[in-house]
Amino acid sequence: MKKFLAIMLSLVFVVALCGVTACDPNTPQTTEQTYDITVWVSETAGVVELTQQQINRYNETNEIGVTFNATVEGVSESESATQMITDVESGADLFFFAQDQTMRLMEVGALTKLGTKSTQTVKETNDASSILAAQVGDDLYCYPLTSDNGYFMYYNKATMEGVNMDSLEDILAKCVETGTNFSYELEGSGWYNAGFFFATGCTSVWETNNDGEFVSVQDNFNSANGLIALQGMQKVLKSTAYVNSSDAANFTAAVPSSVVISGTWASNTVKEALGDNMGVTDLPSFTVDGKSYHIGSFSGNKLLGVKPTVDANRAAALQQLAMFLTNKDCQLERFNAFGWGPSNLEAQANDAVAGDPVLTALAEQNKYAIPQGQIHGKWWDMAKAYAVGTKAAEMGDKVALQAVLDTYQESIDNAFNVKEVWTYIGKIASLNTDWSTDFEMVQDAENANIWRSKDAVVLADGDEFKVRFNEDWDNAFGNGGGNYVVETAGTYYIVADVVAQTITLEPAA
Amino acid sequence: MKQLDTLSYLKLSKIQKIGYKLASFFCAIPKWFVGLFLKLWGFIKAIGLKIADTCVDIVKTFKNGSWKTRVSFLVMGFGSVMFGQWLRGLLFFAFEVVFIIYMIFAGAHWLSQLGTLGTKLPTTEDVYNPVFDDTVETTIPGDSSFKILLYSLLTIFFIIAFIYTWRVNIKQCRINEEILASGRKVKSTKEDMKAVLDDQFHKTLLSLPLIGILVFTVMPIIFMILVAFTNYDASHPGNGYANLFTWVGFENFNLLLDFGGGKTFAFGEILAWTLIWAFFATFTNYFLGMFVAMMINKKGIRLKKVWRTILVITIAIPQFISLLYVSNLFADNGVVNGILLKLNIIDKEHIIHFWGETGQNPWLPRMMVILINIWVGIPYLMLITTGILMNIPQDLYEQSRIDGANAWQQYTKITLPYMLFVTGPYLLTSFVGNINNFNIIYLLTGGGPDNPKLIVDGTIAGDTDLLITWLFDLTTGASANYKLSSVIGILIFLVVAIISLVVYNILPSNRREGDFS
Amino acid sequence: MMNEYKGQDILEFNYLSEEERHDVIDLMPPADYCAQEQVTAESVKESATAVEFKPAKRHMGQKIKNRISNTIIYVVLCLMSIIWLIPFVCILLESFRVESTSQVGYIIPKEWGFDNYINLFTKTKFLRWMGNTFFLGLAVSVLQTAFVLSMSYVLSRFKFRGRKSLMNLMLILGMFPGFLTLILIYNLLNGWGMTGENSVFGLILVYVASSGMGYYVSKGFFDTISKSLDEAARIDGATRFQIFYKIIMPLAKPIVIYTILTAFMAPWGDFVMAKYIAHNSSAGFNVAVGLQNLIATEESKATNYTMFCAGGVVVAVPITVLFMLLQKYYVAGVTGGAVKG
Repeated sequence: MKKFLAIMLSLVFVVALCGVTACDPNTPQTTEQTYDITVWVSETAGVVELTQQQINRYNETNEIGVTFNATVEGVSESESATQMITDVESGADLFFFAQDQTMRLMEVGALTKLGTKSTQTVKETNDASSILAAQVGDDLYCYPLTSDNGYFMYYNKATMEGVNMDSLEDILAKCVETGTNFSYELEGSGWYNAGFFFATGCTSVWETNNDGEFVSVQDNFNSANGLIALQGMQKVLKSTAYVNSSDAANFTAAVPSSVVISGTWASNTVKEALGDNMGVTDLPSFTVDGKSYHIGSFSGNKLLGVKPTVDANRAAALQQLAMFLTNKDCQLERFNAFGWGPSNLEAQANDAVAGDPVLTALAEQNKYAIPQGQIHGKWWDMAKAYAVGTKAAEMGDKVALQAVLDTYQESIDNAFNVKEVWTYIGKIASLNTDWSTDFEMVQDAENANIWRSKDAVVLADGDEFKVRFNEDWDNAFGNGGGNYVVETAGTYYIVADVVAQTITLEPAA
Repeated sequence: MKQLDTLSYLKLSKIQKIGYKLASFFCAIPKWFVGLFLKLWGFIKAIGLKIADTCVDIVKTFKNGSWKTRVSFLVMGFGSVMFGQWLRGLLFFAFEVVFIIYMIFAGAHWLSQLGTLGTKLPTTEDVYNPVFDDTVETTIPGDSSFKILLYSLLTIFFIIAFIYTWRVNIKQCRINEEILASGRKVKSTKEDMKAVLDDQFHKTLLSLPLIGILVFTVMPIIFMILVAFTNYDASHPGNGYANLFTWVGFENFNLLLDFGGGKTFAFGEILAWTLIWAFFATFTNYFLGMFVAMMINKKGIRLKKVWRTILVITIAIPQFISLLYVSNLFADNGVVNGILLKLNIIDKEHIIHFWGETGQNPWLPRMMVILINIWVGIPYLMLITTGILMNIPQDLYEQSRIDGANAWQQYTKITLPYMLFVTGPYLLTSFVGNINNFNIIYLLTGGGPDNPKLIVDGTIAGDTDLLITWLFDLTTGASANYKLSSVIGILIFLVVAIISLVVYNILPSNRREGDFS
Repeated sequence: MMNEYKGQDILEFNYLSEEERHDVIDLMPPADYCAQEQVTAESVKESATAVEFKPAKRHMGQKIKNRISNTIIYVVLCLMSIIWLIPFVCILLESFRVESTSQVGYIIPKEWGFDNYINLFTKTKFLRWMGNTFFLGLAVSVLQTAFVLSMSYVLSRFKFRGRKSLMNLMLILGMFPGFLTLILIYNLLNGWGMTGENSVFGLILVYVASSGMGYYVSKGFFDTISKSLDEAARIDGATRFQIFYKIIMPLAKPIVIYTILTAFMAPWGDFVMAKYIAHNSSAGFNVAVGLQNLIATEESKATNYTMFCAGGVVVAVPITVLFMLLQKYYVAGVTGGAVKG
């Protein structure tokens, strides 16, 4: 009777059997000089074909006899990083991505460190900001592809005629007057809106170690200068001309924009939309309390990454191919075909590159830009939040704007800057806590090893707790490794010797 | 609450009646919960008893059974073959062999690592390569926590399947012995084969669909519940190329309890809007769809097929195209605003923010998504209700017309009760579907406009975000916070399940029919 | 021979505990659905006649009244048709616009042409994506129909232990936020080599495997087919398979077509699951992922937008045609089914 269930269950076996095949992830070594590889490049029309040609050229010209059978796929840079993060093992061998993804890729181990000689070559031939982008800790983990991942201002010369393009206020006024829009993606992510903070001299410095882990962030956005930045940003956010977008198609929207803040990738669309009326320049300045601030920006890069592999020959060959694809000639070819600004110093010196109006505007803006470096992926969303808060605040309401900065500071602190203090945590009846909240302790003024609770605590029989450092259980103790259990109820200061790892209860007077 | 008898109920005024119904509805909820727990307890008890019974039965079978049966304890299927059921026996035996091979070569390997979820980190080494004259970094992948968890889970499923089959194998022997003892014949293989298409036909039909659900629905859910007890996130991807993840007990739940004002507030706000959305999305579609169907069905209306086809065309275009287009149409700088500007209905200072603006009234974008949802949903509802409307016995209408009922009275007294009765369960499933309606919100507003009051861990939620889109942002955002989203996912699941189970079991049509589930 | 089987069933019944026996008795066939529907209709009729309707005013002739209401209905229907068709027409117009490829602020193209369609088929792998989706749709509709019909037929016709718990369980499972499990399903399929280029097979498996949970509508339909047919056939000595195949299936044509139709349509619009499983391999895209990839960034949106719209139109054609041809069955199927779910 139950045989059929048995048949059914044996099918479950088939499912489980596949666990056998997935048991050994090591791929065998190979000495052949032909490699099947997958390459993920930008989805921009033509990039796939050009990359295929370049790889073919490498196959023909290299003296070592390596041949690559490449499958080139065109996917957006963000998709490329996302799918690598989903699954490194079956991801692409070489992949294009934007700089902001570097740390996420490092976290999942999707990038291979460059060899000593390659590192030297990359450092010698590329501009400083691109090397910063490729570097994590002391080593390079990516190959710079472009140095054009920044933004500046496109505008319609016809509607903006006679306007001082260096004054944000004038531009906004003209937009309102002509019934056109001002497109600036301030509420999209921190990438565009941080420029206002850089304008007022605020900085955000991120430090990483050699494993790609963040050590600290020094951020002074929550300051008097930050408040000025938000006041400037609010001028845009509250303007009736403001549109939260960086899409160059806004020039031809039903309610058209006269100004769009965007990057090099938009240039073809703008040309198509505006023709001879296309204007391009650096970002304007805003004025708060009579002082003028030039809006800053991030200058960033597109990068090429190589997936880790166990096979030394394959790794070496891939490294060689990556070096080839990011060399001067390949970068120039990409500039000619798609207008991508090269990171290679020699290529930058090329006449056509130096004379390109879009890249000139970018270079102009780069004087006010800060190199993007390595920023934690979570930060972009947090930085977006202050623009949203500023938009919601009343115009010029400094108290509300300060509250926005405080919220931002709180997010940052919670996420990145763990306080370096000892805390106690446990099941304490009078505090109504059950291992859910940490209570800060204070370091003794005389003996640095002694930490005591800030206030006296009412402890009942059977209350249990431990003390820990940085809210981390790896650095915790109670009664030795176990919990400290209260034996006599009373009101005490909790005193911990963090070196001897002992806890004493000091009755409160 | 005092239960009224029929007579005193009928004496109540209309408002009192409604009040009474509402009161009894809410009074039924605690009772229902008590019932649920009793049922659950009964269920657990029954399972316990069943297992105990089974063990006793197995021991008895061994004691009382013949040597054929006893050998079957070790060599599965031996008894069946000896009793002449060779097909059954061979299948049992094959299953055992496969199970043992699997356990030796893979199962044991995965299970042994389940406790730690892997210990070996990937190692890198710089190797000098003379051909290329450069050093290269090679990576030997370490353990993959993800795979360990996944394949351990599959192995556990497999072990359960094996134990069950083993038990069936023994039970078969006992049944056969009993049949032989009573002087009848055991079923031959030929008869077994026949039964597959006859007496046991339902098992044949159910086997594949149930395996599918087991592997692709039940197992993933169990997996995600397990993830809630690990530290699986972007910095612990457990993919063999970076950090492993491991068990952390209830720490993630503590994080959630530690929610504090902001998070609880955000969760509450988003939950409230989700429920409001689900309610309106379900009922606006339902009533308007019915209304449209009634209009098209009305006697004397021509071109019925044309009207229906026009509505149905919208189903044919994939939503990600049509909704994207609609979203652009109503954008701040979109065609609708453009036309209104040209017609001087609005001026540039007062553009209509159809999709809302931060810090402004959130109800306009919310109303918009409900309206667009009507646009999406009416064609389906129209099709569904068309047929049901035609099923209502026409003589009901005839009779009421003779009694002097007008159209509105006919609708409220005949059409609506009939429809509500018949489609009650459909309404519930579509309510649940709307709670988890990802497409519309994601494609139309992406959850926006952002609301600065709804910041959780630096990720900001918007006024039209549903729990599901919010969860999507939390999962796919930069943090890829799988552990926390599993916890929140479980919470959402509980909320939705409880709401729908309560409503479902109190639904009149369900109670009376008893049969539908 | 028949008696022997019965004997065994009874034997099994004897093994059940007291509570389980109770369960089984509980699950004995409920009153025939059709009969029950009759009762409902009766009760509605009673309540309808019990109410005293106020006599409607009959100053106007019924005919004139009717004509006015019909006119209003025509106006409403025309307005609705316009509202419902606008986006479709706009997308159609976009697809014939050739003066620029990006989004613009007007609806009527300035220059007309087939460039977008030509580009779609020559410059992208659209044909491949169409082929993938078509194959996917066909395979899914066949397999899913088999799964759904088996499931719903059993739940409608067979009374066995655990039936009700099974139905409750499936109701609850359907409420779990699905995309949380995407990462697991991807890894599972990846282990079997069903992702990337082969993602079509992976998708077939995923769609079909869980489809048994969508049994509601077709179970409702089977409930409406009178059980006396089964019993009569059973007395004539037909096996259960023969009843299912020879008696029920021919009657269930509308629900079969309904199931095929819904199963065939689903893969055309799925971009979340399909994208995950295709893992950036364009050979494994379905149309939804392929078209979405065309407008993934602002840059590519500017160059591909009109082509994207053309893709939408091409996708809509087979589905519309299929729908127009099979509308009758769709309505019949969903009507029979929605009666109970």
